[in-house]
Amino acid sequence: MENIATSASHLRSEDVNVWFGERHVLKNVSLNFPSNQVTALIGPSGCGKSTFLRTLNRMHELIPSAGFAGKVLLDGHDIYDHDVDPVDVRLNIGMVFQKPNPFPTMSIRENVLSGLKLTGRRGYNASELVETSLRRASIWNEVKDRLNDPALSLSGGQQQRLCIARSLAMDPEVLLMDEPCSALDPGSTRRIEETITELSDSMTIVIVTHNMQQAQRVSHQTAFFLAEEGNPGRVVEFGKTDDVFNSPIDPRTNDYVNGHFG
Amino acid sequence: MSELDLTALPRPVKQPWQVRNPRNTWLVAAASVLPMLLSVLITVVANIDATLATILVFLPLQIIASVGVGQYIFGKKGRGDAILVIFTIFFSTLVGVLLVSVMFSVVVDGLRAMSPQFFGQNNHYISSTTSLEYGGVGHAILGTLLIVGLTTLFTIPLGILIAIYLTETRGRMRSTVRTLVQAISGLPSVVSGLFIYAFLIAPSFSSHGLTQQAGWVGSVALFPLMLPTVARIAEEALRLVPQELRNGAYALGAPAFKAFWQVTLPAAKSGLITAALLGVARIIGETAPLILTTAPSNDTNLNPFVGQIATLPTYLYGYINQVQATSQQRAWGAALVILILVFVLFTLARVLGSAKSTKAKKRK
Repeated sequence: MENIATSASHLRSEDVNVWFGERHVLKNVSLNFPSNQVTALIGPSGCGKSTFLRTLNRMHELIPSAGFAGKVLLDGHDIYDHDVDPVDVRLNIGMVFQKPNPFPTMSIRENVLSGLKLTGRRGYNASELVETSLRRASIWNEVKDRLNDPALSLSGGQQQRLCIARSLAMDPEVLLMDEPCSALDPGSTRRIEETITELSDSMTIVIVTHNMQQAQRVSHQTAFFLAEEGNPGRVVEFGKTDDVFNSPIDPRTNDYVNGHFG
Repeated sequence: MSELDLTALPRPVKQPWQVRNPRNTWLVAAASVLPMLLSVLITVVANIDATLATILVFLPLQIIASVGVGQYIFGKKGRGDAILVIFTIFFSTLVGVLLVSVMFSVVVDGLRAMSPQFFGQNNHYISSTTSLEYGGVGHAILGTLLIVGLTTLFTIPLGILIAIYLTETRGRMRSTVRTLVQAISGLPSVVSGLFIYAFLIAPSFSSHGLTQQAGWVGSVALFPLMLPTVARIAEEALRLVPQELRNGAYALGAPAFKAFWQVTLPAAKSGLITAALLGVARIIGETAPLILTTAPSNDTNLNPFVGQIATLPTYLYGYINQVQATSQQRAWGAALVILILVFVLFTLARVLGSAKSTKAKKRK
């Protein structure tokens, strides 16, 4: 627990290529995710941005037909090296999914602690950890009086923040978020965006989003993915969020961020 | 950002997660081979019974070796993984060996009786000393198909109707019906036979009876054995159809009946075929009810409603009790024929079940 609120890890992908069966869906994606920065991945549906996100914590290989080539370096160490256990990778690189998926049979409190139970950790102060995690996910005030209620009694937005708290309890160095607000109302979305901003003080965040305003509000840098008819997806433009949205180099980026297609 | 080469590349043969550290590969190989060699050695030297040694020597040795290697490669969490893997492989192999040895003995002993006339002829002129070149189970195959077919004819619609009642309606009797179906599934087959015998056949001795022993009485006795199997598996199949699918049909304004007929039923089709099939497999080898309710025959009888009729299980039962070698071989032959029948049925249902769905895929 030494690196809460200190420097987070630095993630970097080098020539990441992805296949599903024989179909090449992502080609030569090299991105740099500096520590304590929020990176937004944007692009039309089916361009491979969610797939790319899943390669960053080795969730991609859970799909039977998955293929992969390239490197993903966490603080300089390749997480695809044959000596690395994917289980350890996912301990350090947490993930929040598009649809909130709290464990239905567990209470709010048990959900927050589920990661520690699942990995057999001991010697933590449970009530303190529950409070810290829920506070960091900005949901503490709403649930502090009913920690033993079932997780499914929460609203959709609260469930999603609970899932974020669940990831935070594991104290990951990197947090991956796959369209975390797409199923939520504007109020919950705003709360989660505030959470992301606060979290970036202590961790590296990569977020996939379809919402241009959200990318502009929360991210420091933005990568624009595009897959043109019959070709593998790739990164068309990558840079500071301001630059990508206000003075894009590629005309297709300009069209996309201004809503002309996609 | 510079323009990239857009052409798709072929998929690499080996994925990064399939590459193992060669040192670990050697360790795993050693842990898979050494315990077996060691336990064979111990078994031979100490002269222990092989089955006993498998459980008392090989299994513990294998667990120790695997847990050690698991601990070495993955640390603490490797131990649990190793134990799980060893138990899974060990016991599935055990079950596999049992299954294969049963099949093997039926096939080996049954094949001695096999010949074209064994399938085609009946048992009319056959005594227990007649050589295997004469006579066969043709009449018993027909009898089994007739009786099982008759049972299937009224059990499958009824079983599926029960499943529909349990999943698609909100009837108040659902939990009662489900409990009853479960209770019937615990009914011993001999009791079913005895009940039908006492109910339909025994009164006829006192001259105001209902019927003599006949094929259809056998079908009735098989009915309670088949019904719960069909109903429960069909219920599972219908339950697996997502509620969203039904809602989709209802939201288009479909009446419940049409939504079921055109959306739910096709989605559950392969599961319902499995239900029918396992139901048939459940009763095709049933012996006790048929011994009580049908009278064995050596002749071909195509009328399940009148007279004596032979079936494969009763034929088998009749011959296996006799001392002559040829008789026993006929019984094994009948056992093999039952296996073949079941195999043909399963293949047929698989083909029927998948034929339509591939067509639907192609259309897309």
